[in-house]
Amino acid sequence: MNPTNFTACPECDLLLNPAEPVIGDKAHCPRCGYLLQRPRKQSIERTFALSIAGLILIFPANLMPLIGIKMLGGAKDGTLWSGVVALFDEHLWGVAVLVFLSSILFPLLNIVLSLLISAHLYFNQPSRHLARWMRWLQHMDEWAMLEVYMLGVIVACVKLAATSELKFGFGLYAFVALLIVTGMLASSLDKVLFWRQIGQLRK
Amino acid sequence: MKIKKTALAQGFIRCHDCGCLSKRADKNRPCPLCGGLLHPRLPNSFQRTAALLLSAFCLYIPANIFPIMTVTRLGVGEPHTIIGGIIALINGNMVPIAMLVLVASILVPLLKLLGISLLLLNVHYRWQSHAKKWTILYRIIAFVGRWSMLDIFMISILVSLVDMGSVAQVIAGPAATAFAAVVVLTMLAAKNFDPRLIWDNQR
Repeated sequence: MNPTNFTACPECDLLLNPAEPVIGDKAHCPRCGYLLQRPRKQSIERTFALSIAGLILIFPANLMPLIGIKMLGGAKDGTLWSGVVALFDEHLWGVAVLVFLSSILFPLLNIVLSLLISAHLYFNQPSRHLARWMRWLQHMDEWAMLEVYMLGVIVACVKLAATSELKFGFGLYAFVALLIVTGMLASSLDKVLFWRQIGQLRK
Repeated sequence: MKIKKTALAQGFIRCHDCGCLSKRADKNRPCPLCGGLLHPRLPNSFQRTAALLLSAFCLYIPANIFPIMTVTRLGVGEPHTIIGGIIALINGNMVPIAMLVLVASILVPLLKLLGISLLLLNVHYRWQSHAKKWTILYRIIAFVGRWSMLDIFMISILVSLVDMGSVAQVIAGPAATAFAAVVVLTMLAAKNFDPRLIWDNQR
């Protein structure tokens, strides 16, 4: 029995010999219902393009003010970074590090790693780091929380709207665009296909 | 019911990272494709999940007792616990947002703590029924975990924006660290739980 023709469901370990699903189809585990693969049209090309778009958008989203506030004569702009600094100034180091990782560093690494991997696959360039990058990307995935941050921005705005005047900065528009791009990036990246391509490049 | 065979029963180990199958004799060796260590199941899954869960339970108490932030207006400070913040939102006629915060910061962490406890009980006492439903519970827990960070991000935004000296100021409280730790610990607990243990116990 050749193990390369088989896979196992990651959530129930059922041994499977799946037919290659066509684009637009979903392959589910027959026992536990786990979504095994959901092939996308031009997965590598789209991942490559979207990660370039993400890399461009992440700079204004990080550097330009998301929201500005005017309150009893005082005015202040908030960026992603100023939230981290403010927590750090109040000696909440743990929370500051967590916010930094989940809203700045991991989203950035996510995009950079997607770009590196998809570029190597697109140009058929083997690299001995490919498998390591792909593993890092998978482990980092759930710790990048831009969409949760967006919800935090909305709740904060609603809380502040009663007592102060709010202004949406250019950074917020870039942030929303980045959110859409990273969402599309996550759905265009077909992990099963990527691992298979990485394996083939190795040979 | 037809007895279905797991990969492990057939002598194969699925790599946690890249999903390729290796022979069972290769356990504790690096995966030939991606270099991750091969284990039949996540190592010490039950013990690690239980330890992380217990720590999360302990920290859940200070997270709810201590103030998560203090809002100072014209020199008068007003400490808020998580529940206090929700009540303030309801009193301010912002019920939808109050519900959102209630779900993200009270219900989700609580249901996650209880849900993971139930999953551990299921594995320990080898409950025989509804394995598929238990797997779905695991998926829900793994999916919703990150959304509890909402409160932490909101605080980081408020702290950086509302900083007008004696006029108005928001200071994060000690509960913020405890709450952030609960979120991270429950996410790690869910990540360390191996849902295949549920299926291994089915006869």
